[in-house]
Amino acid sequence: MKTLNSVWAFLALASIACAAHTSNWAVLVSTSRFWFNYRHLANTLSLYRTVKRLGIPDSQILLLLPDDMACNPRNAFSGTVYSNADRRMDLYGENVEVDYRGYEVTVENFIRLLTDRWEEGVPASKRLQTDEGSNILIYMTGHGGSEFLKFQDSEEISSWDLADAFSQMREKKRYNEMLFMIDTCQANTLYRQFYAPGVIATGSSEEDESSYSHHADNDVGVAVIDRWTYYVLEFLETQVTGPTSDKTLGDLFDSYDVGKIHSNPGVRWDLFPGGEQAGRSRRVVDFFGNVQNVEVQGNQTGVESLKEDLQGLKRLVQDYQAFAAAQESNKTEMSDVVQRRNLEAVSSGKIRQKQRHTVGKLQLSENAQWARQVAGATVLSGLAALWYFAPKLM
Amino acid sequence: MSLSSAEESSSTPADGGSATDPSHGPPPPPEQPKSTWTRRLIILAFWAVIVTLGWPHWVFTTSIHRSDLPLESMNRWADGKACQLHYPLYIGLAWDDYDISQVQDLASQVQSLLSAENDLSLYDFYIIADATNAETSQRATLLAEAGGELRGHREHALFVNVIADPSAKSTSASLRTWRPVLEVRHNPGRTVDSTTLAPFIASEIRKVYEHEKDAISHLLKDTPFTTSGQVEALSPEVKSSLDARRTRAFKYAATYHLTFSLFTSSASPSAWEAEQALEESISPLLDRLSSISEFTVDTQVQLLASFSPSIAGPQYNESTQEWKLQRTDLSGFVNAAEWPLNPGIGSGPTINFVLFVPSEDQSPLVLAETGGNSWLIPQWGGVQILNPSGKQSERLSAADLRPVMLTFADQLSALLGLPDSPASPSLRITSLVRERATSLVLSASSTLGALARLSLKLTSIAIPDSVAKSVDETILRLDEACHDLREGRYHRALENARTAEGEAEQAFFEPSMVGQVYFPEEHKVAVYVPLLGPMAVPLVMAALKEFRKLRGTKAKVA
Repeated sequence: MKTLNSVWAFLALASIACAAHTSNWAVLVSTSRFWFNYRHLANTLSLYRTVKRLGIPDSQILLLLPDDMACNPRNAFSGTVYSNADRRMDLYGENVEVDYRGYEVTVENFIRLLTDRWEEGVPASKRLQTDEGSNILIYMTGHGGSEFLKFQDSEEISSWDLADAFSQMREKKRYNEMLFMIDTCQANTLYRQFYAPGVIATGSSEEDESSYSHHADNDVGVAVIDRWTYYVLEFLETQVTGPTSDKTLGDLFDSYDVGKIHSNPGVRWDLFPGGEQAGRSRRVVDFFGNVQNVEVQGNQTGVESLKEDLQGLKRLVQDYQAFAAAQESNKTEMSDVVQRRNLEAVSSGKIRQKQRHTVGKLQLSENAQWARQVAGATVLSGLAALWYFAPKLM
Repeated sequence: MSLSSAEESSSTPADGGSATDPSHGPPPPPEQPKSTWTRRLIILAFWAVIVTLGWPHWVFTTSIHRSDLPLESMNRWADGKACQLHYPLYIGLAWDDYDISQVQDLASQVQSLLSAENDLSLYDFYIIADATNAETSQRATLLAEAGGELRGHREHALFVNVIADPSAKSTSASLRTWRPVLEVRHNPGRTVDSTTLAPFIASEIRKVYEHEKDAISHLLKDTPFTTSGQVEALSPEVKSSLDARRTRAFKYAATYHLTFSLFTSSASPSAWEAEQALEESISPLLDRLSSISEFTVDTQVQLLASFSPSIAGPQYNESTQEWKLQRTDLSGFVNAAEWPLNPGIGSGPTINFVLFVPSEDQSPLVLAETGGNSWLIPQWGGVQILNPSGKQSERLSAADLRPVMLTFADQLSALLGLPDSPASPSLRITSLVRERATSLVLSASSTLGALARLSLKLTSIAIPDSVAKSVDETILRLDEACHDLREGRYHRALENARTAEGEAEQAFFEPSMVGQVYFPEEHKVAVYVPLLGPMAVPLVMAALKEFRKLRGTKAKVA
């Protein structure tokens, strides 16, 4: 077993040397409902497809969609969601797992999800079960304003709430590094209040600036994708082609073109250890892809020694049982005799005891019922008397 | 206000003649004292209701209940000042056929040698000469390990059984596999007295506990529980192997759920004798590990399991006539979307063991880089490929599954974090007990510190009483766990530490401690002004007018 573990350790070494994080999670939130906000759900679903393509499994993706565009009666292409007017790729049709849908997407649930403060019985698929080695990608989109983001047209989350939630995650060591992306109007204001270390934040527009949609599909009838998300996806699809791509966050953020996006996207580096330099060198797949250090078992000698160990263990278990039995028999012989006597007594009086028990049970229940009936009859007759005699008394 | 104006207006018509010139009319008669007092009483009544009923009611309904947390003791635990971690190890020494005085002499020599080289300041060795027969005292300790109470014997970590073997060429030592016994064989003809034996025994004992000492130093290294002098620096290889073990193993939990799944690519084999195979190979291991955690076992079979579309899939290799699976495919091999894994069985993590049987036309399926057929996914579980042999029937028999289960047992012990050395598995389990107890104490302390910081920083979240209760329970259990560690009662320390960790997590992750914690001032103004404004304005104006009048009359009188 020793040589086996050292082989594993060596292989783990080789793979761990490059990545300091041990798992990847993604939280993709759309915050608007209604048909005309089709593009927000399309944004989120395109990010979902990208993240899946690059390897993050569904069990580590939390997808929050407040409305169902695919089955909306206004959808001319029902069962589908497209993020491009050419309708080449359906984002929704197969292999999609939505974790929070409809009215479950609320500010409270979102903050509970981040800080992991749940009641008993909330299933694991709705929880963000990260640990100190997890990198988290958080993407939010919807309608927002200066330092707030609107959820489902009825409530809002402020940048202070988000900042506090992230600091609680940091206290409990729930993430290693986090990439926060947001595509709303005045998006950059939402990460202004963050103070937890280890977060890189990027938004689509500055304060007092709106973010725009990219294009509309004439047959679907509404805009299908937002500009900033469209160009981010373009980068991800053309440059980050597989889970082993070397493109860095610096490349991603350098690809922002204000002329195309029509607003000023921003990046916040100061919370990241090592600042901009360290942040720019992080690979895109460190957040969008999935790392899984698989340890391959090489030789079989470890298994042989384990077989011997297990046989010795079986013998030991038998020894235990024999020893325990010997101990018990050694204890007292009196207790044995006493036990035997008890057994006899019980077996002879058993039948009688049983009968008594059952008779007793019946009687109890009968008693209770009769008492209840008497009480009910008394109350009824009292009320009837009151009804009959009260006017006479008045 | 309205009363006074009514009086003024009622006085003018009584005048008569000069109604056309109201500004030069006779002054209105002074207010009667009775009506002034009535007016003042009315205003006082309104304000009395506001002050005695309204304001306390508002304070009561809008204040946040924050129960008192013992912040100083929480911070003391988080800073590591509340507990001095110390690990006493009681080692029994038995030397058959020699009398007790010689055994005691040897014991004291070994003890003095071990305490002299005090680089292991966290560990303290106490060598106790055992007068009784070595076998029975070992058995008593084993019973105690299995969960019973140890009567009369202290919980010994190790037994050193010195055997005088005339046929031994030199002094040698070996660890027995499933008992915590170190057998030292020496040739009585050569080593007559104990002065040459003692250094050998001391160095052997130190070797046994070396890895554990490294592991615990690594755990405590960057925490405030040790000072820098106590913990020595580790070499990079040791550090990286300890890190690898930590990232590979699951976090400690009181219950682990093991699932063994058979995924068949085609329709056969469709069943397996899993229960029998598990009984043979896995249950003994789980029995031994039951002192650390509980285990539940589930099995399932899934037929026609397909690969995930995101992996490349096995490639046929002409030269070896095998289908090869690339390393990059290994992490995506488990088709998380289609294969029913990762269920919510209960509290506690799920360790998944997957046995995959490829179809006839894709077998034999092996791994490209090593030619083996199994791999381990850290903090998730293990996967194995069983290539169907020619005589495959519909049902995988227990004999077929025996090697499979052995590999799974091996992977299980790695996933639970069992250390690599010493060579005896039972010593490894006790060393894991100590490591887990330590890490649980550390984690509970840091949670307490995080909760203390949280309660100070977020002043507007409510802290219910259950949190205060959990915190008190945590501190109590941490004290007991520290006490147990210092006394050498490691299993009880693990229990206490486990409870402390559970309570601390419950306190920190209290579900009612979430809420939208931030209300900007504009929101408060926007809510209160329309609500209370129309009510407050007349009351305040009336009160101010009365005060002015009161001061006016006082000036006149004075």
